[in-house]
Amino acid sequence: MRAQRLIARFAIENSDNFEIVTVFDDEIQREMLDKDEPILKSISSKYTIATWFERKIKDDFGIKIEGAYDNRPLVHHERFPNIYPMRKEFVEKDIEFREFKPYKYETVGGEGVFEVAVGPIHAGIIEPGHFHFSQEGERMLHLEVRHFYTYRGIEKTLEGKNLLEAKEIIERISGNESIAYQLAWFDIVKQASDLKYDEKLKKYHCLLLELERIIHHLTDMGFMPNDAGFGAALSFASKLSEDTRVLLQELSGHRFGFGSVGFEVKKYDKQKILNFLNTLEKKVRWFEDWIIDIPSLWDRFDFTGILSKQKAKSYCVLGVIARSSGEKIDARNNEFYKKHGFVLQNELVGDVASRFKLRIKEIYNSIGLIRNFIDGFTKIEKPIKFDDAEYMSYVESSIGELFMFIKLKNGKIDRFYTRDASFINWQALYLMMEKDIIADFPLINKSCDLSYAGNDL
Amino acid sequence: MIKFWQERVKNPISTKNLECDSKLKEIKKELKSVIGKKFAGSLAIRMVSSGSCNACEAECNALSNPYYNLERLCMHFVASPRHADIILLSGVVSANMYHHILNVYQQMPQPAYIVTLGDCPLLQGVFQENFAIKGAKSLGLPIAYHINGCPPNPQEIITGLLEFLKSLG
Repeated sequence: MRAQRLIARFAIENSDNFEIVTVFDDEIQREMLDKDEPILKSISSKYTIATWFERKIKDDFGIKIEGAYDNRPLVHHERFPNIYPMRKEFVEKDIEFREFKPYKYETVGGEGVFEVAVGPIHAGIIEPGHFHFSQEGERMLHLEVRHFYTYRGIEKTLEGKNLLEAKEIIERISGNESIAYQLAWFDIVKQASDLKYDEKLKKYHCLLLELERIIHHLTDMGFMPNDAGFGAALSFASKLSEDTRVLLQELSGHRFGFGSVGFEVKKYDKQKILNFLNTLEKKVRWFEDWIIDIPSLWDRFDFTGILSKQKAKSYCVLGVIARSSGEKIDARNNEFYKKHGFVLQNELVGDVASRFKLRIKEIYNSIGLIRNFIDGFTKIEKPIKFDDAEYMSYVESSIGELFMFIKLKNGKIDRFYTRDASFINWQALYLMMEKDIIADFPLINKSCDLSYAGNDL
Repeated sequence: MIKFWQERVKNPISTKNLECDSKLKEIKKELKSVIGKKFAGSLAIRMVSSGSCNACEAECNALSNPYYNLERLCMHFVASPRHADIILLSGVVSANMYHHILNVYQQMPQPAYIVTLGDCPLLQGVFQENFAIKGAKSLGLPIAYHINGCPPNPQEIITGLLEFLKSLG
């Protein structure tokens, strides 16, 4: 039997019970728990990545997890107040910190083994997150990733808002994936109302998504060589990504596309975009040709941070990481995209070099897609009425598959849940460290380029 | 590597952006003289995110690209608060980051200034105070200057920093 891929696992509070929804790629399982003494049976022995989902359920709702091998808090840090914020009865706004309660890190013991703590505030310009290494000299024995420093309580904040009001928060969950989040939101709006999705509008939305992907990949194309000590690539690629961001601003009115996915196509100069794409393609080709000739760089890239296909599968990893390891997962793999020139990109080795090459390949594919997505202008009616139900949506962001769930009750959001690809991929990060030294960690981490804000919510 | 130099000779200045360059030229002189007087010619910035959506960080990274190239304006980002003159604080100051931000401030050599970046820290944007969001004011630290925007673009950050420097008197 083929193993199912775990997509998400989360809880909903109903009036007389807790409902645990477990989403797999081919089925959705629902489990009802008693409200007074909720106990959930863990599936983490079968799916390792269920661990974070279950620890989050425990922190959010106070549901006891039975048979879990990891019972530590996830979202609640040392001084986070003792509350279950996702319960309906919880309404307080201002809460005192509790007394400092130390967190027990996953470490490896033994003679000569020492620990290195990195973060939450890093040396570069990046979001906060903590990495805890167990070291044997330079070799990494184990790494624990600890996040949720940027936890903003977005799930709770969105409750009680209607779909249209929720948008400006949803688009700011993770800045560099903003358009993907907006598209997931739009998909749910479409399902919940009698909106007529215009083909031209759909193409425009997909165009923006591909542009966002190009910006993200170009940025990494510079930062990865930079982390291996090759700064010239950063200058070159950051120039290209700035050019693309300026184009995104012209197209959508915002440098990150905030507020761009709506009910109309903004007027834009088609020829200008085509010209830009031609130049960009030429420059990326030149870049590829240039960088492939730098042996000292590939010495760092090749066979560093390997994630095998087998492990990628068992950890259900998503997006760029999965595709670099040979897994064929892409939410864009459907008729509409294929019709416009989408080809699923693949690499086999799963090392840093694979992820670097995959990003370049995806840039070419996205450039081709954008050429085909250029179409006319249109405007559709903004929906007013939304039907009460549960909606799910999948979008391939620049990191990986984004899952969003919204339950509407009386026209308002009763439960909002979203799972960024980073949430799963962070849990698989330690697998890549097995054979490498600590100096390779920044490079491996950058090659995955996961979101902290999207993970923490 | 020869390809790189061939391209470099063929297209010498590839980052020409007339609009942006002329604006930067205007403030460049002013910036240099203010930083020269008050910070001995170099302003060290520590960028700290306290729960932002990563757009502000992306814009600060963009400040180092060949278009804006912050270092020619006598400003540079440093890796530790112990090397910094100012903190550029972005994000909503989440409950989980609250004590870490206080810690960063304590480690800075005095006089230390906090410049808040974007709409988040002062809760002027879409995020409002809740159980997980504290806001920069709750830190009880002096905030020297605020740069608006969601997120402020690189030019706005540069002019914002200039205004901050002028406000020091």
